[in-house]
Amino acid sequence: MRQVKDVRLGDHLCLAFTHEAEQREVSVTFVTAGLARGERVLYLTDDPTPDRVRHWLEEAGVDVAAVTAAGQLGVRPAREGYLVSGRFDPDAMITALRGEVAGSLAAGFSGFRISGEMGWALRGVAGAERLEEYERRITALFHEGMSAAICQYDTRVFPPDRLDALTGCHPEQVQMNALLQDGPLRVTPAFDSEGRPVLRVSGAIDRDTAAAWDAALQSAVGEDGDVRVDMGGLEFIDVAGLRVLVRTAAALPDGRCLRVLRLAPALDKVIRMVGWDRTSGLVIDSEVASA
Amino acid sequence: MTAVTGQAAAAAPELIHHALVYGSDEAFLSATTGFCRDGLAGGDRVLAVTTPANIGLLEDALGPAAAGVEFVAADDWYGAPGRTLAAYGRYVDAHKVRHRRVRIIGEPVWHGRSPAEEAEWTRYESVINAAFAGSPAWIVCPYDERTLPERIVADARRTHPKLLTGSAEHDSHAYTDPAAFAHASDHLPLPPPAGAGEEIRFDADLGRMRQRVAARAAALGLSAGQIDRLLLAVNEVAANAVQHGGGHGRILLWADAAGIGCDVADPGRLSTPFPGYLPPDPLADRGHGLWVVRQLCELLEIRTGRNGTQVRLHLARG
Repeated sequence: MRQVKDVRLGDHLCLAFTHEAEQREVSVTFVTAGLARGERVLYLTDDPTPDRVRHWLEEAGVDVAAVTAAGQLGVRPAREGYLVSGRFDPDAMITALRGEVAGSLAAGFSGFRISGEMGWALRGVAGAERLEEYERRITALFHEGMSAAICQYDTRVFPPDRLDALTGCHPEQVQMNALLQDGPLRVTPAFDSEGRPVLRVSGAIDRDTAAAWDAALQSAVGEDGDVRVDMGGLEFIDVAGLRVLVRTAAALPDGRCLRVLRLAPALDKVIRMVGWDRTSGLVIDSEVASA
Repeated sequence: MTAVTGQAAAAAPELIHHALVYGSDEAFLSATTGFCRDGLAGGDRVLAVTTPANIGLLEDALGPAAAGVEFVAADDWYGAPGRTLAAYGRYVDAHKVRHRRVRIIGEPVWHGRSPAEEAEWTRYESVINAAFAGSPAWIVCPYDERTLPERIVADARRTHPKLLTGSAEHDSHAYTDPAAFAHASDHLPLPPPAGAGEEIRFDADLGRMRQRVAARAAALGLSAGQIDRLLLAVNEVAANAVQHGGGHGRILLWADAAGIGCDVADPGRLSTPFPGYLPPDPLADRGHGLWVVRQLCELLEIRTGRNGTQVRLHLARG
């Protein structure tokens, strides 16, 4: 799982997002980083107009009119980008992108990056069944090192099987920048399907990463509302790490709680062994959320 | 730690821990029937964990009053010392809210125990005095001298401050303070494990230690869930060694008929009294790790002294 700050020319990444806030964060970071590096950036939006994406970029401080006039930024409807001949044709698409890369370099840009919203593929477009083939084949173009792409798939609309297949056609997935990366521990902000912030925890929490883990939770406490922590990606947490979680929950003011999502059943048992399940402010969500 | 007085103080009742050494059904009943009846009459909660035969005897003797007593077969209750102690703790906590005192007849299971299990269950009886100090529990532990080896009955006199005969109690002169209690086998080294593979050395890099232990455990055929449980337990012991002990240590892992054995040894000395035995305060800053380890394990053996500390974990296969 790549953090969006680490995206480089040569990458072909898949963003499987659950909420617009996550989509926006990753997209804006990707586009602005490309602009800052002197690369040409093309954004294919699933909307009929470029307004939403332009608004995002303006909010992020991009002078959209200027970079558009300079030919460095293009925001186009995805139908125009992907469905040149009215149907989806992988060969034509690969040829067109190769032309975009060459054109960008010829115009003096240091590279080309593209991000596309892929929701059109679910709307009965002719040739859309060849999307997986395209995603697999296009990797070679990006691997040449002069271009990069993030393909955006909304996990709320793509059926899980199709989503698995499509993410599998990308060398790697991308997510928001980690709030914290400390050795084997990574804590990444994300959003649930209702747009509420979630901390996604992956890796290991032990005595080496205990201080960083505590800091990550305290920073989440600083925000408003409930603190949501998704432990589904966790490989290991020791008893002291669980204690940090419990103490964070206990210290929350009345009316707020810390919700632990996708905690392994064995760890839920450990929390009960110590009596931590009776902590006020701690809610263990036993529901098995979709990844 | 509150001193065990055995006196029924006017305010909150404190732990009373009796051994009932009995040589006949009549002797068993003459102590336990009154214990239950008095408790029920006084509004105490009464739990009787004993053999099926004794449950039958007691039910008959109590007649209709038996309905007020909760009976549990000892085999179902005395599974692992740490877990049994926790179960009693939960029971007392749950019922002390509505009852002045929680009366327990607790007859441990001794038959079919290995020497290591016998030693740890004996220690468990001693630890009860510390773990339940200040708790409104009155625990009577029956010991059937018709069938038990003399050494077990003798140890009961060392692990219980009072002995019960009929309705009369008297001090046990052999009683040993739990902090000073040692089982006869404590002075002997733990028997070397058979079939342990190459030892795994560890230092402060516990992630690397876990990788190597997981690989060895997988080679022994443990399931993913068992490996997770083992790693959690071993990590706590190793973290103690790194933080409070020698800073490094050695791990041995083996499979035996009962399950999985694992030794964690380090050059430091473990100074915690009753390690992992005292129910932790959920709000405390530390001290939860070894408690969890005891809950995860079937048996935990600890040797500590000038030559370092050896912690032997036994985990079930299933």
